Amino acid sequence: MSWETERLEKAKQIIEMYPQKRSALGPLLYLAQDKDGYISNESIVEISGLIGITEVQVQSVASFYSMYKQEPTGKFLLSVCKSISCEISNSSDVINSVKNFTGLSNNETDDENFFTYESVECIGACGGAPAIQVNYETVEGLTPDKAVDLCKWLKEEEPEIVVADELQDKFGGVKSFDWAIADNNGATSPVPGFQTYDTSKEKK
Amino acid sequence: MNEKVTFTVDGKQLEGKQGQLLIEACEDSGIHIPRFCWHKRLDPVGMCRMCLVEIDTPRGKALVPSCTTQVSEELIVETESDTVKKAQEGVLEFLLINHPLDCPICDKAGECPLQDQTMAYGPGESRFIEEKRHFEKPIPVSDIVLLDRERCILCARCTRFSDEISGDPLIEFIQRGNKTQVNTFPDEPFKSYFSGNTVQICPVGALTATSYRFKARPWDLKKVSSTCNCCSLGCSVELNVSQNKMLRILGEDNEFTNQGWLSDKGRYNFEYLHSENRLLNIHSRENEDYQTINISDAIEKIKDKIKDLDNPEIKFIVGANSTNEEYFAINKFANSLNRNEFLSKDKSNVYFADDHIHNGYFSEEYTNATFEDLDNSDAIVVWAEDIKDNLPVLFLRIKKAVKNGVKLVVFGHTNTALESLADLYLGAEIVSNNFELKTSLSNIQELKNIIDSKKVTTIIGKSTPLQKKDSLDTLINHLQKVSDLKIFNCFSKANTFGAIQHIDQIKGLNEFCTEYENSNKNIVFTIGANPVNSSFFGSKIKDILEDTDYVISLDIFKNETTELADLILPTTAFGEKEGTITNMEMRVMKQNKILPDPGSTLSEWEYLIMIAQSLGKDINYDSVNELNSELASQFTKTEALPTFDNLNKPSNLFGILNQKEINLNIKDIDQDSPSLLMVKRLYGDSSTQINSPSISMLGSERFIELSEFTLDKYGIESNVATLTQGSSSIFVNIKLNNLLPDNLVLAPINRRGFEKLDSTKDFDLKETKNMKDLSVN
Repeated sequence: MSWETERLEKAKQIIEMYPQKRSALGPLLYLAQDKDGYISNESIVEISGLIGITEVQVQSVASFYSMYKQEPTGKFLLSVCKSISCEISNSSDVINSVKNFTGLSNNETDDENFFTYESVECIGACGGAPAIQVNYETVEGLTPDKAVDLCKWLKEEEPEIVVADELQDKFGGVKSFDWAIADNNGATSPVPGFQTYDTSKEKK
Repeated sequence: MNEKVTFTVDGKQLEGKQGQLLIEACEDSGIHIPRFCWHKRLDPVGMCRMCLVEIDTPRGKALVPSCTTQVSEELIVETESDTVKKAQEGVLEFLLINHPLDCPICDKAGECPLQDQTMAYGPGESRFIEEKRHFEKPIPVSDIVLLDRERCILCARCTRFSDEISGDPLIEFIQRGNKTQVNTFPDEPFKSYFSGNTVQICPVGALTATSYRFKARPWDLKKVSSTCNCCSLGCSVELNVSQNKMLRILGEDNEFTNQGWLSDKGRYNFEYLHSENRLLNIHSRENEDYQTINISDAIEKIKDKIKDLDNPEIKFIVGANSTNEEYFAINKFANSLNRNEFLSKDKSNVYFADDHIHNGYFSEEYTNATFEDLDNSDAIVVWAEDIKDNLPVLFLRIKKAVKNGVKLVVFGHTNTALESLADLYLGAEIVSNNFELKTSLSNIQELKNIIDSKKVTTIIGKSTPLQKKDSLDTLINHLQKVSDLKIFNCFSKANTFGAIQHIDQIKGLNEFCTEYENSNKNIVFTIGANPVNSSFFGSKIKDILEDTDYVISLDIFKNETTELADLILPTTAFGEKEGTITNMEMRVMKQNKILPDPGSTLSEWEYLIMIAQSLGKDINYDSVNELNSELASQFTKTEALPTFDNLNKPSNLFGILNQKEINLNIKDIDQDSPSLLMVKRLYGDSSTQINSPSISMLGSERFIELSEFTLDKYGIESNVATLTQGSSSIFVNIKLNNLLPDNLVLAPINRRGFEKLDSTKDFDLKETKNMKDLSVN
């Protein structure tokens, strides 16, 4: 039994939301990712027991979606968009500057487990291209230099919580429109924050 | 579903059934559409796109996969248009992007759908010049199946089989896009009783079996259809032989029985045929040693022995692997001894070596079920020994029926594998540890809802040798009263039904032990039976055989029983003899010969008739055909007699249903079920299995099953323990099974290490804390 009681309790609540146990697989994988920063084999075994499907079926889903991480992720996950809108707004320069600063290539994590770098498909910020996400908190209108500043700041400050609006003020440029949710609490880890499932902590 | 529709394919008017898939409807009318992922017995997925055809839609012509399109009235289909051809070429060019061109060293080459269809429909050349993807090759996904992921074309046949058909989805697609691969979870191998089927349905050489890798090319194989004798289901198989060696067994799609599938035991239990341990010569015990003698000396010896012993009692213990013809000959011979000289008339002298045999429900008031009835009934009621382990393909048939909406009721303790399929599992609350019903069945409301005035098929047999027949009678009488009932008598061993059909009065080993009188002079024949190892009465029988004046064993291997024999006659085995067998729905099916008799082996009937003739009996059969035509004439339905001629007709390839009067006279064993329940598992230590290297290790795992309550009672916290009984102790793994009632421990009867256990005696279970406690015995 690798999961703590609190997490198991949460898992049971999630499972009860669905008519069939196996439908709870997606959110349970976020719970697993919240625990270790990635989907560990122990968590796969745990989930398979909870919803009565085999381990390999869990792994099949977990390995299909790229936001379920199969390897431990650093403290900050840097996702730079490489899709068409960002690409024509010179995202390749942003990508190169982030890569140069961190010394990482795609899907790599540094030795200190601090940064993980990935270039991703469209993150829905075309109006403010090029854009980057830090732990899924979006910053728009980036330049190569600002991107390096952002990385340096993360390195020096090591913020416990990153919030999109704060990052935008510090490092962002043109913003498409005010799309962010009003009471965004920010992200405490490179796990997609879904308050319903308690995978992001309260800010206060 | 059965409404007819008319549609047009390539300008020809065809008929199909409403709702039928286009690919299947075309196939029925003789039009072959190429495919990789579609399989008649699996749900369609439309993954490979090879079966694209052009149909007329309101918006013009469109390419659609024919495996996911249903036929409808006035549908117009093109299967050979230029567009379809271009699509097929494109699909194949894509499939061959990553498929290695290693056909010269691939086992599948020569019978490979990808190879054949590339020849027939492929583009001829590829524009792809980049490097293909690489994986470690091959990786073992289980002890018997290997996976080469480079060859895999991701058709999902294997993963769908393991999910839909066998219900143990231990292989799945991992990753996605270009990285997609079939794999298992780390340290969770594809441990399935049915894994071999994935090898057979793989359309490329990605899945291979250890037993067949690099052994032969398909075009060198000699093939014959036959019937598997691993259990009494009667799966149709194709035997593949090259240079007089059995190399492979494939499942044939017999609509009535196995529908294409086989258990891994049925599929891989054949290497023993060519084992160096096979008995090839007649062995006669001289003082302490065995000497090889020839057949005429052996017959002379038997004749002399019978004369010397001066009217001895002659008894036969028969196993389940003989053909109907052999049982018929055994019966003739035994009867000739019985009626005339040696025995009084009221005693039978033939005993069947399966402890689970009981009188069954064969008389006219009961209706015998067929496998089709499983699909057509409203509910299935099971109370028998473990179906998944003893009749594996019947488990698949039950699973299929349940998937199609048939309700399943399972009565407890031995069929816990069926619980997840069951609508109603009646365990500890209804069935006692002694396998008696605790409450009146009419009081169970859920049962009432499922069976009352419904069409019910029941699979009924003793869960343990010690179960009393009264309990089964109660259930049958109740079902008979409230429902429209059809009955499967669940005797799981090979040709049990052939034995009870063709031997006038057959008894069990319990009767053998009670009727044996050591004050008499005794001769015992054991024919293809090893009761010393596999029976509840093993130790008693061992004592008896040691006391017997002369023991003659007809067998294919030396085993615990032949060790006690004075004369061992080597016999032919599966694939080496022609004959018929009867399965549990009373379907008589043909077993064919494709291998020569090895060494100086003979068929059982040949030995027996020679012995009979030397004793001056008037039993004359020169060939198995003569035996067959005589036994066939005794069946009741005269219009469909199971003669070789009839069975060889194409319309009867899958057997003939026929009946014969059955007389069983078997009494309950006068003993309560103990808390140690010995059950037979699919894999064990039978001499055929331990001499088949590919599967010999599958029966080596030592484990017991028990519930958490029982575990606590013995104070065990880890998953290993030591099972002690008297002077012997075994180190066992513990499998938790909370469906088991309190104080019941399930142990396998046919495993190495468990042979010394006596289920009727007390035992102790202790936690194994360190290696010092570990005693290997």
